[in-house]
Amino acid sequence: MSRTQDEFVAARKPAWDELDALLARKPLLHKLPPVSISRATGLYREICSDLMRARSAGYSSDVIEVLDSLAARACAAMYSAPPYRLAGLRELVTAGFPRSVRRHARFVALATLLFVLPGVLGFAGALRSRGFAIQIMSESMVAQMEKSYSDLGQGRDEGTNGMMASFYVYNNVGIAFRCFATGILFGLGSVFFLVYNGLLVGVVAGTVTAAGNGRNLFTFIAGHGAFELTAIVISGAAGMVMGYALVDTGRRTRWASLRAKSRDLFRMIMGAALMLLVAAGIEGFWSPSGIIAPVKWGVAGLFYALVFSYLIFAGRKAREDS
Amino acid sequence: MKLDNTVEVETPEHVRFRFHVAGPTRRAWAYLVDLLVRAGIFLILEIIMVLATGEHLGFTKSITSGGTLLSLFLIEWGYFVAFEAGWNGTTPGKRALKLRVVKVGGYPLSLTDAVLRNLLRTADFLPVGYLLGLLVMSWDGRFTRLGDRAAGTMVVIEDPVRVAPSITLDPPVTPAELESFPHHVVLSLSEREAIELLLRRRDLSPARRNELADTLAPLFARRLNLRAGDPVRFLALLHFVAVGGRVAGVGARTGAAT
Repeated sequence: MSRTQDEFVAARKPAWDELDALLARKPLLHKLPPVSISRATGLYREICSDLMRARSAGYSSDVIEVLDSLAARACAAMYSAPPYRLAGLRELVTAGFPRSVRRHARFVALATLLFVLPGVLGFAGALRSRGFAIQIMSESMVAQMEKSYSDLGQGRDEGTNGMMASFYVYNNVGIAFRCFATGILFGLGSVFFLVYNGLLVGVVAGTVTAAGNGRNLFTFIAGHGAFELTAIVISGAAGMVMGYALVDTGRRTRWASLRAKSRDLFRMIMGAALMLLVAAGIEGFWSPSGIIAPVKWGVAGLFYALVFSYLIFAGRKAREDS
Repeated sequence: MKLDNTVEVETPEHVRFRFHVAGPTRRAWAYLVDLLVRAGIFLILEIIMVLATGEHLGFTKSITSGGTLLSLFLIEWGYFVAFEAGWNGTTPGKRALKLRVVKVGGYPLSLTDAVLRNLLRTADFLPVGYLLGLLVMSWDGRFTRLGDRAAGTMVVIEDPVRVAPSITLDPPVTPAELESFPHHVVLSLSEREAIELLLRRRDLSPARRNELADTLAPLFARRLNLRAGDPVRFLALLHFVAVGGRVAGVGARTGAAT
């Protein structure tokens, strides 16, 4: 049966308006009573066939546009993303994160080298010459570093601890995120931030050691370092995985190759962020406390053993889903 | 390359429909609105902290300054992720400009997508003011920045459109007028749309409308061997016949819509 456009619109418009009203309702579609939901799915199918009919009959573009936008809105309301559950977070911590780190162990190893080698270089350089340290940091920073860590281990009040912990969250998670995100530039950003941060840590340690306060500094950073440094390395490794996916694409397009890695990237960067939250807590409250050095070293060793055995062994037994 | 900014997607039911993708200007406005909302949230958090602790603001060694840093962190990294993941691809700014983030397949984005596309803002921002993102956007028809491409998302305009009223002739068509037209007139879609566009424009003065119609009408008149008297009236009649309009008392006419 052939119909003119006006007849078609007149006949079908009530259905379009009904779906439009259902989609505009304030409790969102999936919270409406079941009757309304099944009505909406029926209407969605009708509108899809209206759209095809309108296109094949060559009706004018305003009618097609109305149907296009209605179909698009209905589709968005019907196909919702999987809901977020707390179990997802548990899965990330107990299995997903360490598993994704292990899957990209080579990049983690490479990122470790890119972080540790400049660190050793910076440490040796700053230890031997003050001029080297000034090349990397400003002179005022070097002067400040030489004075700090001389009176460590006295403890601070709770307010200061909380403030510092918040600062470490703000600063370190920010660094990790930037280190990851700039990996999109074929990994170059991540490489730069790993090398730069490694060098900076090394130079600071070298400067403080040269001033004679090395013991204090290492006692301070030993505890949270297990979490903090590992997390920065992992976020850099994730950035490099992202950059490498754009280079070695397999049989995919560049961006499809990257998207195939998106779950691993998500797990690695979220896991690293969680580790940095733990590190911030330790760095804010435990590291500056007045507890004697041997205990701090013992606990630091425990932390390292914990982090490495977690990354190596956690989630091995659970069923591999991919 | 297409010049219009539409993207066609196909659903699992093999239905194809089109999205209007949003360009950089509209997205920049949305970003600006979000920036204001973020500033507002920050201010409210600060006021709450000051009222709750009785401390003064500033980077002193206090609970308030710790809270300030935490709220800065959450607003900088969490705002877009939380809204886009929890509010089906929209933020207050995107809602204000009727934008929504969707997967390139047209369905909603997941938490993973929201995290990826928003963490990569850092890279899109480089070297300053989203310059890299803007450059990358200009490379493809979907206006996707790096974060969008990594997450497989695009930003679409969700502007509810209404069916335009059908074209009516004033005064109504008379059977006598139709006599002169052939029973069957075929217009291509673009021809019909050109005529509809002209007849629907309300902001044209009668003289200008006449002038424009006069450039079109002779073309059709020549093709159909007719004489175009009043060009506007002629085009309206032509359209009427082509879409299969009927007049009481005259038999059904078939138009292009068969």
